[in-house]
Amino acid sequence: MSLDKETIVEKMTALLGKDNVVTDEQVLKESSVDRFRRFEELHGVFTQPIPAAVVYVHSTEEVKAVLNFARENNINIVPRTGHSATEGGLETAVENSIVVDGSGMNKIISIDPYNMLATCQCGASLQELEDKLREDGYTTGHSPQSKPLAQMGGLVATRSIGQFSTLYGGIEDMVVGLEAVFPNGKVTRIKNVPRRAAGPDIRHVIIGNEGALCYITEVTVKIFKFTPENNVLLGYTLDNMKTGFEILREIMVNGYRPSVARLYDPADGSLHFSHFAAGKCVLILMAEGPKPLADATGKAMEEIVSKYGGCKKVEPKYIQVWFDNLNWDVGKVAEEREEIMATKNIGNTTEVAGTWDIINDIYEVCVERISSEIPDITLIGGHSSHSYLNGTNMYFVYYYNVVNCRPEEEIAKYHLPIKKIIVEETIRAGGSMCHHHGVGKHRTHWIEDEYGSSYYILETLKEAFDPQGIMNRGTILPGR
Amino acid sequence: MNILVCFKVVPDLDLMPGGDWNVDSRLRVETGYVKNIINPYDESALEIALQFADKADDDQCSPGLTALTIGDSKANLHLKTLRALSFDRAVRIDSKEDLRFRPETCAALISAYINKIGKNNVVIMGRQSGVGDNAQTPLICAEMMGWPCITQVSSIEPAAGACLRVTNLVDDGTCRQTIEPPCILAIGNAPNSYLRVPTLKDIKAHGQKPVEVIDAAVLMATGGQPALPGGCELLGIEAIDRRRSGIIIEGETAAEKTQALYYSYLKGWLAGI
Ligand SMILES: Cc1cc2nc3c(=O)[nH]c(=O)nc-3n(C[C@H](O)[C@H](O)[C@H](O)COP(=O)(O)OP(=O)(O)OC[C@H]3O[C@@H](n4cnc5c(N)ncnc54)[C@H](O)[C@@H]3O)c2cc1C
Repeated sequence: MSLDKETIVEKMTALLGKDNVVTDEQVLKESSVDRFRRFEELHGVFTQPIPAAVVYVHSTEEVKAVLNFARENNINIVPRTGHSATEGGLETAVENSIVVDGSGMNKIISIDPYNMLATCQCGASLQELEDKLREDGYTTGHSPQSKPLAQMGGLVATRSIGQFSTLYGGIEDMVVGLEAVFPNGKVTRIKNVPRRAAGPDIRHVIIGNEGALCYITEVTVKIFKFTPENNVLLGYTLDNMKTGFEILREIMVNGYRPSVARLYDPADGSLHFSHFAAGKCVLILMAEGPKPLADATGKAMEEIVSKYGGCKKVEPKYIQVWFDNLNWDVGKVAEEREEIMATKNIGNTTEVAGTWDIINDIYEVCVERISSEIPDITLIGGHSSHSYLNGTNMYFVYYYNVVNCRPEEEIAKYHLPIKKIIVEETIRAGGSMCHHHGVGKHRTHWIEDEYGSSYYILETLKEAFDPQGIMNRGTILPGR
Repeated sequence: MNILVCFKVVPDLDLMPGGDWNVDSRLRVETGYVKNIINPYDESALEIALQFADKADDDQCSPGLTALTIGDSKANLHLKTLRALSFDRAVRIDSKEDLRFRPETCAALISAYINKIGKNNVVIMGRQSGVGDNAQTPLICAEMMGWPCITQVSSIEPAAGACLRVTNLVDDGTCRQTIEPPCILAIGNAPNSYLRVPTLKDIKAHGQKPVEVIDAAVLMATGGQPALPGGCELLGIEAIDRRRSGIIIEGETAAEKTQALYYSYLKGWLAGI
């Protein structure tokens, strides 16, 4: 790095004003990590290089000015909005990085119900946008578990997905237009049109870039009519995941589009459903939309499930009550931290995707290997929560007791060996190692295997848009 | 030392939707749709007992540990977990009675178990449970057993001569005392007392061991002193409105907002206390 911390802080203060440049030591330490390293963080151990400053930007012009400064002086930039990342995307891999926080760019710029569009700045909270839309009978259709925490820039940057994705899609299906600033200072706007065939879809250079190519400043997403009164909620218990995957497949290949299609194995289910489904798998389906469509979808799904032996219907109220408590707000995050500190038991997740023919094998082999190979494991299970015509995802959930190791050894002793099993088994079977949390900094090791010969395209994007490598070093691609 | 830890399985009332607090003709609220948990004070009691056993183990005088609950089969999962966590016995006194406001019956059943079966000399339990909120079971149990009871306990450690070093909260501070069993300890707010989690190996090795089930009526008929007369009669139940409102303080700068917060809200409030 060419500049020292003091000079960086001085220049940032000149650009953004004193109030928008934070150098408090504790804030800097906490800004060097995300949820991936929360065990270390909880113990006050920070192993990553500490950033020079966290700067708060309030306009596209300010983002541009910061990026220009960073490029001219070869300083690593870590874009940030809601700070809910789970895969190390917010880790500052380089000494004296600048964390560029866009949470102050939190305006909902416009809601256009005629064209069914909502436009907001990158720091707009999804919860706030969704609440505002619902007051008027609309929804984004996006409902990740982190809805109370996450903001639009980060949600787009990670290719996030929500609980109603089987109908509304992932964020990539929702984004219509965007504004982003590239590290050369170029501000790019992609206009809002229903579709176009004017070359490749360049939105996808920006969506999912994890702050490694550009800084997202504005997002326009689709909106949908919100008609919860039409929802048809179905819940079943069943004996095994294989049957559950078969049911999901049959629903999808026959052209039905439930908004929710979730299948829990008994271990993961024990965290949620032990009061009515102990030791069982749980299948949850929801149809929504205009009443005739929701009713017909609900009925058809019931018929499909009824063909499979061993599926027992559950009163929908059980599912509804659970669903209403599913999201994570700051209170839940704080509670979890307290529990981890007291029990030294920590839970993490890894999410993968595969076609119908491989997904059950991936599930079985990973559960089997993790339970037999990883020490001190207290739970390994998972669920499928997003289904497609061609396959589904598997969201592995695992907890372990951290025993006989220092906080900074937790990741190497437990989390990475578990991730390694899941990622390697998934890639070996032909699936994708990342379904919706992004690559972050801890799956870059396998990124070439993930892409195969198409890695050329990814690498070229990075070289073209960020030739100096100042954008979120070590994210998506291994750091140079 | 033969320790009995009593716990109650309760619905996680934090998960109850606001509109579901409907009282039926039998003065019950339908809570079956939410997950069951171990009553948090009892969870502390169980963890504190395990911590005590860990420390006693180091001193090579490990105590016998029994976990006991009164209720229906929904407690079995928790009992199995406790088995996996190395409780020597996991006991359920099978009762389908409505015990929400009947601490005297719970105390009678626990005493009957101790006298007839467990022969325990230390009883640890949470001070109260969210369902019923009676805060009386440990005290009535102590009265029935004729044992001393220490309330608001936050930690227990082994002490010389098969004694216990007990820390508890008292009106004007914290008290540490050495107690010779028998005694009953009612756990209050205790730091670091989330229940530990068994590993899959522990569950495989111990979690499948049987849970002992004892019929409440049989236990009372053969070994119990009659319950003390009930102290209260349930007349009605209503939900407490816990909704909160908030105000967003406007201002250009942090300093302006601080001024507004102080002069419009805090100053008057501070003057009032
Ligand atoms: C409790 C919990 C539940 C979750 N549930 C889900 C879920 O259901 N579905 C799901 O998909 N994900 C989920 N996630 C993970 C997920 O990545 C995020 O919640 C969300 O997508 C991140 O948004 P954020 O605003 O918090 O971004 P941040 O955490 O601030 O950043 C995430 C990544 O995006 C980059 N980034 C942030 N802002 C910008 C920007 N303006 N321009 C360019 N890059 C940027 C960052 O550098 C980082 O790499 C969950 C996370 C938590 C903690």
